[in-house]
Amino acid sequence: MSIGASNPEYVNARVRSRRASLFADEDYRKLIRMGPSEIARFMEETEYEREVNALGTRFSGVDLIEYALNRNLAKHFEDLLDWSEGRLYDLVSRYLRKFDVMNLKTIIRGIYTETDPEEVQTDLIRAGELDDRTIDRLLEVDTIEDAIEVVSGTIFYESLSAAHEEYEETGALVPLENALDREFYEHLLEDVSRSPGRTQPQEGPEARYIEFLQAEIDFRNARNALRLARSGADLDPAAYYIEGGVLFDASDLNRLVGDYDALVDHIAENKRYGDRLSGALGRLREADSLIQFEHALDAALLQYADTLSSIYPASVSAVLSYILAKEREVENIRAIARGREVGLSESEIEEELVIL
Amino acid sequence: MIEALDIVLQNGEAMSPEAAENLSVGYAEAAAALAVGLAALAAGYAERGIGAAAVGAIAEDDDMFVPGLIMTVLPETLVILALVVVFIVG
Repeated sequence: MSIGASNPEYVNARVRSRRASLFADEDYRKLIRMGPSEIARFMEETEYEREVNALGTRFSGVDLIEYALNRNLAKHFEDLLDWSEGRLYDLVSRYLRKFDVMNLKTIIRGIYTETDPEEVQTDLIRAGELDDRTIDRLLEVDTIEDAIEVVSGTIFYESLSAAHEEYEETGALVPLENALDREFYEHLLEDVSRSPGRTQPQEGPEARYIEFLQAEIDFRNARNALRLARSGADLDPAAYYIEGGVLFDASDLNRLVGDYDALVDHIAENKRYGDRLSGALGRLREADSLIQFEHALDAALLQYADTLSSIYPASVSAVLSYILAKEREVENIRAIARGREVGLSESEIEEELVIL
Repeated sequence: MIEALDIVLQNGEAMSPEAAENLSVGYAEAAAALAVGLAALAAGYAERGIGAAAVGAIAEDDDMFVPGLIMTVLPETLVILALVVVFIVG
């Protein structure tokens, strides 16, 4: 844990200013009518200018957009970590570790498929807590075992080495990836809610922060459960279950995955999320649109973070809401660019977007 | 004030009217000084947060310099109002 006073005022002012310069919904409508190269040109006139110019000589079309987006995202989130101090740094960094998880997964998969490190490198989003030197060393190693040694000293080491044995037996990457995910989510709530000698705060910004993280975990569980139920895949739901949420416990999940309607009912009956998601749940019952429901989950989470950031102006919630909004922007632009590339119609692309 | 205290120490048993007058003026001035000091401390504490936010805003957008400056010095009115106390008492 970092020591020293935290500086939410400073970080909040900067974050809110950046939040205001994100793309508005009208911009997406404009982007939907453009081709990939037009989108790249449009981005050049916005705050992605530097990234588009830097990468413009090496890539073109959708690749250019994608890498520029990733790089910009990494730049902004690195800034967040640079600015924040003390307790605020703790709270922000534990959330941004999801990029560490993503990068480690990418690197491990790269090693597994013996991809050229150069190519792996362009896919990384260097926004997490792992510093550049560690990542560069990870890119140099040839075996997964060595990669795990490189991350010794980080929170991922123990669970990765445990999962490595299983990997050696089965040769599948799933245990390693699950270990990373689980480690991330378990640390998310660590020492804010369950530390010994400290009771969980009931009100105030920290309590809401916990509620937000629980919502994130719940939605992740709900998403996994719905996907399992929908695909009918014969997988053990417990292997994908993440602890810490309030919507499911492990036995609920085992029972509900077999019965799709009961699962939807279970979500609708929950008093914390039922109202907020009622529209999306209705659509989920009628149509086969899992994607729309997942987007509704994203939108609900985003709105929730926004509400929090106006209830507690000088807390971590404004930073969280910015992180979510920025991710949404990047994902939307990527969806538009990819959609145009494969020739989807405008209305089809619009369905892929998360618009509030 | 120290003078006033000296008088108290010297005239332990009986206090002349003059000395009592001096003493009360001394106490009043000490109280006024304390009021200004505390107000300045409070203003400083308030400005800490506002200043941090203002610097953040200016870092993102140079045009925020003037609004930021104004917002930052607003709590200074606390000290000015506390200064009034000095004149009322004095």
